[in-house]
Amino acid sequence: MLEEQMKILIEALYLVFGNENPWGPWVRGVVGLCAMGGIMVSAMFAVWLERKYASDIQSRIGPNRVGGKYGLLQLIADAIKLFTKEDIKPDKVDGPVWAAAPVLMFGSALLMIIAIPFGAFIFNGTTYPLAVTQFDISILYLEAVSAIGIIGIFMAGWGSNNKFSVIAAFRNIARMIGYEVALGLTIVSVVIVTGSLNIVDIVEAQGSVVWFAFVMPLGFVIFGGSLIADMGRVPFDQNEAEEELIAGWGTEYSGMRFGLAYFAEYIHMVLGSCIAVLIFLGGWNMPGFLIDLHIPLIGLLPVGIFLAKWVLVMMFVVLIRWALPRIRIDQVTSIGWKILFPLAMVNLVWAAMLGLVWSW
Amino acid sequence: MDGTTVLDSLKSQFPDAVADALIDSQPPHIVCANVDKGRIVDVCSYLKDNLQFNRLSGITSVDFPEATKFEVVYMIASYDHSVVVKLKADVVRDESPSIDTVIPVWWNANWYEREVYEFMGICFDGHPEMTVLVLADDMMGEWPLRKDYQEFPQTTAKYPYSDDQESVVEEKYPLEWKSWPTERHYLE
Amino acid sequence: MVNKHDVKKRMRQLAAEYIHEPQQEAYKLDDTEMMLHIGPQNPIQPGPFLIDLKISGETVRDSKLYMGYGHKGIEKILESMTYIQGLPVTDRICYLSSLSNNEAYVSSVERLLDIEPPERSQYIRVIMQELSRIQSHLLGTGEYATDLGFVTMFLFMIREREYVLGLIEDITGARITHCFPRFGGVRQDLPDGWREKAIDVLSMIHEKCEMYKELFSSDRTYKMRTVGIGTLTKEDVMKAGLTGPSLRATGIDYDVRKVYPTLVYPDIDFKVQTAENGDIFDRVMVRVNEIQESCWIIEQALDQIKPGPLFPDELPYGRRTPSMRVPPGDAYVPIEDPRGEMAMYIVSDGTDKPYRVKIRGPAFALMQGLPPMLENVYIADVPAIAASMDSCNSEVDR
Repeated sequence: MLEEQMKILIEALYLVFGNENPWGPWVRGVVGLCAMGGIMVSAMFAVWLERKYASDIQSRIGPNRVGGKYGLLQLIADAIKLFTKEDIKPDKVDGPVWAAAPVLMFGSALLMIIAIPFGAFIFNGTTYPLAVTQFDISILYLEAVSAIGIIGIFMAGWGSNNKFSVIAAFRNIARMIGYEVALGLTIVSVVIVTGSLNIVDIVEAQGSVVWFAFVMPLGFVIFGGSLIADMGRVPFDQNEAEEELIAGWGTEYSGMRFGLAYFAEYIHMVLGSCIAVLIFLGGWNMPGFLIDLHIPLIGLLPVGIFLAKWVLVMMFVVLIRWALPRIRIDQVTSIGWKILFPLAMVNLVWAAMLGLVWSW
Repeated sequence: MDGTTVLDSLKSQFPDAVADALIDSQPPHIVCANVDKGRIVDVCSYLKDNLQFNRLSGITSVDFPEATKFEVVYMIASYDHSVVVKLKADVVRDESPSIDTVIPVWWNANWYEREVYEFMGICFDGHPEMTVLVLADDMMGEWPLRKDYQEFPQTTAKYPYSDDQESVVEEKYPLEWKSWPTERHYLE
Repeated sequence: MVNKHDVKKRMRQLAAEYIHEPQQEAYKLDDTEMMLHIGPQNPIQPGPFLIDLKISGETVRDSKLYMGYGHKGIEKILESMTYIQGLPVTDRICYLSSLSNNEAYVSSVERLLDIEPPERSQYIRVIMQELSRIQSHLLGTGEYATDLGFVTMFLFMIREREYVLGLIEDITGARITHCFPRFGGVRQDLPDGWREKAIDVLSMIHEKCEMYKELFSSDRTYKMRTVGIGTLTKEDVMKAGLTGPSLRATGIDYDVRKVYPTLVYPDIDFKVQTAENGDIFDRVMVRVNEIQESCWIIEQALDQIKPGPLFPDELPYGRRTPSMRVPPGDAYVPIEDPRGEMAMYIVSDGTDKPYRVKIRGPAFALMQGLPPMLENVYIADVPAIAASMDSCNSEVDR
């Protein structure tokens, strides 16, 4: 009974969203905008989580005035403040480059949305991942697009006509070049085991309990470290170290220009955590016996599992930020090239052997 | 190392350069002495090399306009023993007072001598960098800590206009008594 | 009276001789070099000063330090105020260690007046000195931790500092700029119930210092940033004339409280904390150890203190001393500031105002010794080194 109703629902959905309907693309566009709004809200949630969790670590109370006892609407107040600030454009900046940099950073973070599945519905034994599209090279696309943001930071640093920003930009490039390699190698090792670049296949290749984090622990650790370096958070945030370089690449930005770049960093954090959950922590998989219990709407549980894992990963990232001091840039590059890169090669060999076993 | 040993050895080594040497009766029992201006580097090197006075605590200057002299005071201490020596050198208060620098003896005399120069005007011969340290660049040459600094204590800052100009500031912002508002509107 | 026109002529002469910066030797840049100004207004500085760094890539080749952005003319001000009026001014020389500044001033004037405070006042002064040392070290180490990116440590230390400031406020009535000692005694006695509260707070701080030491020693990232960086050898530190924790971190155990003991320090048993290497890690460790040592000193003082008068019986000028006349002479009494040796050289000519007050602060030598330490370090090490020296800009500028 339930399954027939689900079938009718799914056919109705195809009718609304599919291509036979002349309004299909428009509907999809609207839903896409809503998805983007959802991502913004989740980035706001990420900022709120960071502030509250940081205040717990530091034994103080975080935001607790705006929006009730837990300060849930604090970010809306901050966004309004950023909108109403004066937009200062210094005289000697390189105009188009300086103005386009935050837009580029924001855009590259948003480009990652189209390929990430945010959970799945499981009905009738088939999985319907909640992704905008599924294409065969999705993981490669995600990694490539997340690296475009670095060009934005360099544009900000160079176009600002400011010595501090230029130093920050150079440090950024040094950091990214080192850690993108390790990141890419760990992703390649996961792909070798799975045999496909499609992220949905990677999730499905992990069983309900045997995740890639347990099977390839070295790869998981390297991926975690490279991801934190990729997102530009402490202990790797030399590009915006307030101590030496007043605000790094963001020195000459004020108001919503700064807000865009700041927000882009948090969206990157959100989406990076999603990727970590999907690739290494089993995505939305749940133990199979739960499906056999015919609880109504059990098919929606994988989304909840995905969100719970995502929140845990983000909390871990925030914890690392507030518990460690910052590393110097030469130590950053030496860790990236002398430690993580050889270990990633070792992990690749291990993954190759594992891939042979997996395919039996 | 005792205060009396230091005193005796100073008196015996420099009988002509050191005068009025005595030890303070109260702790920290400073050994005070007046030194001839030209022999200051010799006395200081002797103190550092033979009597282990390897820390210069500070260099000060006091202005005595009635006696037309400056007094440059050196406070010398040590890391190895607990005797403090206070040397006073008199510099004549004329057009360009000067004294030898003790940088060859103690490296950290650099900033102390710069400060004495910018506040009192005593030039230190042989100092590598005689510029302002704490004052602003355009206050060089004013010697603020002298007793006859211009119109002290009524005006201690340099005004941007001279005496024969009209006071531009008072024209733009005239002083007038503003009375409090007669009615106050309190929020009800 | 100095002729104004002569002065202006001299000034023009000097201006003509002054070599402007881009032509000075130190400012000539190669193709690979860049001049970076960590400038007067920087969010992380404790006070305004300017460091010009000549960098090549990420290494600092040369540095030049410009002070004077906070000059207030305190020495000149003190010449036009009576002795008791000058006491709040000395608070503001360095607002973090204001009790030590007061103590130096009051000790020197007491030396000129030839009076000695009774025993209870001396114990109270020792207790206040050590409390001031605790709170200054907590804040100094916290600020240094933010310069490394370790914001959590700063917030932990500030939390402990609030308790200590509460203790100080119970006695003096203020959190900073206390103006507490008087000539011959102290302003107020310890209130009732303060002793038990102090013992609780001190035992808590003792525990927390153990936690800080363990945190600092076991954190690998922190040690990568601090061990072996900004090293001062014994010869360097004696050449620069430093005192205080920066000196003791190299292994020389020179503490003004032991070398020139004043007040009741000879009756109190404490150890001078030293370390071996003289790098940033050791300087911070010496400070945290000193906090624990100060807790121990205060507990001993609270055990040994006895009830008694706060001022001597035959005070020549009474407790209200608006226009007391001080016999002519000069006095110099060094005491141990949280940063080093602090002393005031006061010259008096028999009137009710001092003739000359020279403030010998410890931060002067720390700032002077900073540019030689910044050769061939990375830019990221500059704030770490500068903050680990714990110098105070307002004390250098006065």
